[in-house]
Amino acid sequence: MATIEVQRQLLPILDSPNQGARFYNPELPSSEPFVPGHRTCAGCGPSIQYRMTSKAAGDNTILVGPTGCMYVANSSYLCTPYNVPWAHTQIGSAGSFTAGVAAAYEAMIRKGKWKGKFPNIICEAGDGSASDIGLASISGALYRNHDCLIICYDNEQYANTGIQASSRTPYGGMTTFSPPGPEVPEGKKLYPKDLARMMAAGHPHCYVATASVGYPIDLMNKVRKGLNHKGAAYLMIYTPCQKGFVYETPRSIDLGRLVVECGLYPMWEWNPEKREFNYSFRPASMRPVSEYLKLQGRFGHLHAEHIANLQKFANEQWKMMGVELPQALIHAADAKNLTNMAAAAEAEAVAQTL
Amino acid sequence: MPMLAEQKKRTVRINGCVASAQAAKYADVDVIAAYPIRPYTATMMALAQMVANGELDAEYIVADSEHSQLSIAHGAASSGARVFTGSSGVGVQFAYELYSPISGSRMPVQMMIADRTLDPPGDFGSEHTDALSTRDMGWIMGWSCDAQEAFDNHLIAYRIGEDPRVLLPQMVCQDGFFVSHITGDVELPDSGQVKEFLPPYKHPYPLDPRHPVSHGPQIMPEQGPPLQLERARAMEGSMEVIEQAHEEFAKIFGRRYDPWVEEFMTDDAEVVFFLQGAHAVTARFAIQHMRERGLKVGMVRLRTIRPYPTDRVKDVLSKFKVVGVIETNMGLGSVSSGGVLYAEAAAALYESQKRPLILSFMAGMGGEAIVLKEFYWMTEKMLDAQRRGKIEKRTHWVGFEE
Repeated sequence: MATIEVQRQLLPILDSPNQGARFYNPELPSSEPFVPGHRTCAGCGPSIQYRMTSKAAGDNTILVGPTGCMYVANSSYLCTPYNVPWAHTQIGSAGSFTAGVAAAYEAMIRKGKWKGKFPNIICEAGDGSASDIGLASISGALYRNHDCLIICYDNEQYANTGIQASSRTPYGGMTTFSPPGPEVPEGKKLYPKDLARMMAAGHPHCYVATASVGYPIDLMNKVRKGLNHKGAAYLMIYTPCQKGFVYETPRSIDLGRLVVECGLYPMWEWNPEKREFNYSFRPASMRPVSEYLKLQGRFGHLHAEHIANLQKFANEQWKMMGVELPQALIHAADAKNLTNMAAAAEAEAVAQTL
Repeated sequence: MPMLAEQKKRTVRINGCVASAQAAKYADVDVIAAYPIRPYTATMMALAQMVANGELDAEYIVADSEHSQLSIAHGAASSGARVFTGSSGVGVQFAYELYSPISGSRMPVQMMIADRTLDPPGDFGSEHTDALSTRDMGWIMGWSCDAQEAFDNHLIAYRIGEDPRVLLPQMVCQDGFFVSHITGDVELPDSGQVKEFLPPYKHPYPLDPRHPVSHGPQIMPEQGPPLQLERARAMEGSMEVIEQAHEEFAKIFGRRYDPWVEEFMTDDAEVVFFLQGAHAVTARFAIQHMRERGLKVGMVRLRTIRPYPTDRVKDVLSKFKVVGVIETNMGLGSVSSGGVLYAEAAAALYESQKRPLILSFMAGMGGEAIVLKEFYWMTEKMLDAQRRGKIEKRTHWVGFEE
């Protein structure tokens, strides 16, 4: 059977260092596939991410929105913030609905039923969808290598339903399903699922990376790398939730940096050609986790031992990244040192430039 | 255009599953979502081979579950592709979440069902409970009783569902094994006939970057009812389209089906069986056997259950003294404590001036064939009710009573 060859888009990578151009970059496209006027909270991390992602993708794009904040708060009937086609799907259908869209365009272009370059197909799944109920569907889409980008906008909880714990909620994070009390002083007892690594390990032919709203150009470049990669790509993006994390609204971007500087959100890329992780991303500073925790009400109940546990967790992440730990961070991973105010102050003073 | 290769009309001996696969090929589907579960699997096996052989140009996706199958179908249909999927038994139910969203977004996805019992007993036999459990989700739904009818129903259903006046998904059902795995002569049409009958799929609002639309937004409570009303009207309005499609089908292919019910030996019948699906084939034989012995028995077979042909069922069944519903499905604790078909037939007859007595027969359960002596037994129950002029016992588990 004679078939028409599918033409694909190639998006330029922005030439900007990770740390600079925080607010302005002349190379950024002017198009806004995600426009203001939706109903998300002020400072909403996921919608900041949404704007960056869709801006990086451009107008020849189709968005898929499994149930979550970016569905409920954005797409209020008779009003839509999406300037490109967008479809809601069920919370467990993130990967499968997206696969259907991608397969449809492969077939329709090949059979001459649709003319044009293959669109960017992006799924925006919250961490509840991505790490829990939609995990299998996303794994299926990655495994089958549909030409699409699946994003987990990770606000570390089910926020839209009123802040419940997901598999991505950090140890010690207070949610309405992991409240602290005399018997369970730390709130959430489990550590988060290492979701992005799981996706890279299980689907090594895919481009996989982690990103954070604290580093917009890096984030947009990872979106473009994922879209340029022929086949499936996966991004897990840190997107703080003001309502669930309980912090001052203007500090979303600050948290997006602090979480990386504290070692709680390692930034890396999986290179599917070389089949290796790239851990070369380095934040400007390394800080103890307490600097990140103290800005958020969800960690307000933690005792010294819990903070030390989180510091141990962060230290393991640094080691995994191949970073040598400064003595102060090793020190901060011992609860005794955190109850000693002088030692705690010393730990806080660490702001080591790498 | 790299479309379906030209085919000449020919008759082949194939089973129901392969007939369904052939129909999907003739419909030139773009996306197929597969997941294995017996007995419908044979349809997907046949389609996989057609794609491998280059006989059909389609994206063949092996999904990770039935839930994903239906979501893939939903996404692909939303993008403007013609979609084919299917399942059996518990697989139909694993996908349950998707049935309302697909009909609610008015996507004419087509799903082939080869019925299978649910768990328990989970045996491979046919019970209609799998598909019937989804009957109120906004899908056009009907049963065939042999392989030829299965083939035809798929083409007719695409034509109905994709009609811009309808835009609803369709469940094209056949009994597992009795139809899905029993071979029969099937006339495969000339590809020109299919082109004439089934225009290319064109959804008015697909996900197309050149004409951005938002599908399935979050709505406020007062915005829901108008959408529900529209969906209800589409289902109701499909009745006219269903009749037109069957008429057109008869003209082009030369096979005429009553879209709603098949009547068999009902002219002077006093008692009739009311059923759907493959047991009609054995019922026809049994009825002829009983007719030779002077019993005035007939059969009414329901072909389309959604939309339910209420007036037609009322008019047809009102002609008889006793109606014996053969359920082949479970409605535990339902109005008859038997199955689903009784309740709907009874409701359809409620407004009739001349209501027959109605019995519910739990027969053919677990995929067991209904044998001749059971047809006699059920007929005797109906004749007994006719003599007494009342129902002694509403529901009978056939084979478990004297």
